[in-house]
Amino acid sequence: MNDSGGYKRDAIRVGLLWLALVVVLEVVWFSVEILPRQYAEEARIIDDAFNLLTILGIPVFSFVVAMLIYAALRFRSGGDASQDGPPIKTSTPVVVTWLVVTTALAVFILINPGLVGLAELRANPDADLVIEVEGQRWQWVATYPNGAEVRDELVLPVDTRIKFEVTSVDILHSFWVPGFRTKIDAVPGLTTSVYATPTELGSFAEDSALRLQCAELCGIGHARMVMPVRVVEKAEFQAWMADQLTAEAPAAEGRG
Amino acid sequence: MRPLIRAVVLGLVGYVAGAWLTVAVRGGSPSDDVAVTFGFILGLIGWLMGIGVWNAWAREWFGLPAKPDQATGWQRYLTFNTDHKVIGVQYLVTFITVLLLGGFMALIMRWELANPGQDFLDPDTYNKLMSMHGILMIATAVAGILGAFGNYLVPLMIGARDMAFPRVNAMSFWLIPPVAIGLLSAPLLGSFDSGWTAYPPLSVVNEGGQVLFILAVITFGLSSILGGLNIVTTVATMRAPGMSWGRLPIFVWAAFAASVLSLLITQFFAASLILILLDRAAGTTFFLAEGGGDALLYQHLFWFYSHPAVYIMVLPAFGVMLEIITHLARKPLFAYKVVVAGFWGIVGLSVAVWAHHMFTSGMAESLHAPFMALTEAISIPTGLVFLGALGTLWQGRLQSKTPLWLAFGWLFNFTIGGITGIYLADVATDIHLQDTYFVVAHFHYTIVGGTIFALIAGSYFWFPKITGRMYHERLGKIFAVWLTVGFNLVFIPLFWVGINGMNRRIADYPEFFAGPNAFASVAAYILGAGFLLYAGNLLWSARRGPAADPNPWGARTLEWQLPSPPPEHNFPLLPEVVGHPYDYGIPGSVHVAPMTPEGGEEA
Repeated sequence: MNDSGGYKRDAIRVGLLWLALVVVLEVVWFSVEILPRQYAEEARIIDDAFNLLTILGIPVFSFVVAMLIYAALRFRSGGDASQDGPPIKTSTPVVVTWLVVTTALAVFILINPGLVGLAELRANPDADLVIEVEGQRWQWVATYPNGAEVRDELVLPVDTRIKFEVTSVDILHSFWVPGFRTKIDAVPGLTTSVYATPTELGSFAEDSALRLQCAELCGIGHARMVMPVRVVEKAEFQAWMADQLTAEAPAAEGRG
Repeated sequence: MRPLIRAVVLGLVGYVAGAWLTVAVRGGSPSDDVAVTFGFILGLIGWLMGIGVWNAWAREWFGLPAKPDQATGWQRYLTFNTDHKVIGVQYLVTFITVLLLGGFMALIMRWELANPGQDFLDPDTYNKLMSMHGILMIATAVAGILGAFGNYLVPLMIGARDMAFPRVNAMSFWLIPPVAIGLLSAPLLGSFDSGWTAYPPLSVVNEGGQVLFILAVITFGLSSILGGLNIVTTVATMRAPGMSWGRLPIFVWAAFAASVLSLLITQFFAASLILILLDRAAGTTFFLAEGGGDALLYQHLFWFYSHPAVYIMVLPAFGVMLEIITHLARKPLFAYKVVVAGFWGIVGLSVAVWAHHMFTSGMAESLHAPFMALTEAISIPTGLVFLGALGTLWQGRLQSKTPLWLAFGWLFNFTIGGITGIYLADVATDIHLQDTYFVVAHFHYTIVGGTIFALIAGSYFWFPKITGRMYHERLGKIFAVWLTVGFNLVFIPLFWVGINGMNRRIADYPEFFAGPNAFASVAAYILGAGFLLYAGNLLWSARRGPAADPNPWGARTLEWQLPSPPPEHNFPLLPEVVGHPYDYGIPGSVHVAPMTPEGGEEA
């Protein structure tokens, strides 16, 4: 009787500690800005998923930490190594509760953000603009609808749903723009695709999140296989794209 | 020393003969892929014959009497010894050494990464160093606990005199040095720069050191398979009277479950590497698009092994930590049967989650949702292990000892590792985080924070059993705090840089990431320095430490009922198991009947 009263008191205290940790950590999470700036609609979807997983992860983390802190403070033996703890071998209600809660959490995150995020990302197979991107050691070549081949800067129009059709001429690379959060491998012999809908103007010069970075190990030049990205107004984009063609024509450069 | 010298000489002779014969038959250079392959194979055979396979084993095939090495004392550790305890110590010392070596490589990498721009490693050298660090640490995590504690403890804990196949066991250890020699000599052939994952086409077109990587890793896989076979057979057939499955110590369950995985799936890694070798050396095009091959095929085969492999690493770690927690909390292991069910849930699901490594690989999109679901489902059985650990600590009489301090650090780390794993199982967040430092931080939390912490905690917990001496408790606790704090200081900032757009496997990065990288580098040096304390404590204590009580923890499992170190063949009389191993606090409960001539069954 005495013992079970003690257990109850311990359970309440560890529960309060848990609650306090959850509140503190959630407040911290909501008050600090950890994620990079969103430059595309896709970034919003992915950041929403990230946020939700963190909000749900904090109570799980806090529970373990609360148990560890409480155990370290309260369940320390007086030093008598021969004194045993209470012989609690198992507890069906605890096991069942644990299983129900963990399963419910797993199912919840599978649905949201899991399947919901996936559906949002795939909601629209149409694109206003298709750009072919080819990876090669160690540079990116972007081909625009007017046939312009560009290597030095990936210029994109704002508020436009863009489909990148990605491939590689040699080994694996990976197309990644951190500001858009989108990534797809460039695979030789295969055309993969990824969508991005830029929502903010900006350029690599202002924010390193606006870079097309190779994200799949590809040898010596991997780290520096970077193409600066610049998001511009639609009209500016059209003018720029036309310029590329005229700038390129005299050179008549073959594809690498 | 003689067998070792013989093994080195025969290994070299085999290598030269294999390479030379290849050149004689087909021409070419002795350093090309084909010559290196045949050189390695003959060299490996020469090494094994020299170290003791011929004397202790193969002579019997020809009707000759076996001539096992009769070395005693410390020289036993340098010979083909079939005592599982000698083999356990061989593994422990070997892999702690590899751990320190791989850690030192990490410090060199952190030196380069402390500042953006190129400091002293060119990108090529960096990639090769990173690849070497990766494969050495993966090997340590796969074979460290299973090899050291699996070998040393499983027969003791189940009341057996040795492993089921002692010579196979000795061979599985002696396959390891050629693995180390092969990997560490790869720089002679230009090393390998494709990471430990060795994705083609890069691993088909890079320098010749990749061949040594392939051959060494296949050899390592053979060692894992043989080790797994041995533990599975030993646990299945050699338990002492009364040691029913329901009374198995939790570490034995963990080692058994991991060994089942290791026995069944390691072949897939070997197969995928053999296909790369054929693409390089025989002109096949399994993974080359220009010949109709498919680069993605490799990733499926590779991760079909390599994701379950993280459970080969971490299941034994669960076992070690649950042993430590139970004995040092002096309470029954909470929900023992549920924890065992959790282990088997992990084993079952682990082979069905591999493609979560491939959400951005370009594989069919129809695979995304099922693999997300299966991967997230594995958190349920893993949660049961946490239930066991936390439930046991609850209301315990915690003995404030180094291994338990490390167990607290381990629970903290593995919680972070587990939760951050969810971000990589979720397709949306993984699209952003794949191949970034977030992944690097995550898997270091699981593999270092989980497996290596357990390897280290186990090396303290069973130190008195293995050496007969006690380590220095206060220095041990200082190291436990140092390790836990240092480790977290290194890897927490790396989550941030990954989220914010720093990709992995790079020697250089944008200026934006300078601050956290400098911080992580300094923390890495502090962490690295802590290992001097670890190595110093254990080395000094092994020679000069005070004599330890045979059972300093008052623990109930069988290994603690023997003298320290246990005698050859362990049990003069087979013990009789009469109760559960963790019935702390239950009046009158006994795990093993007194090991007297009356109490035990005649040998």
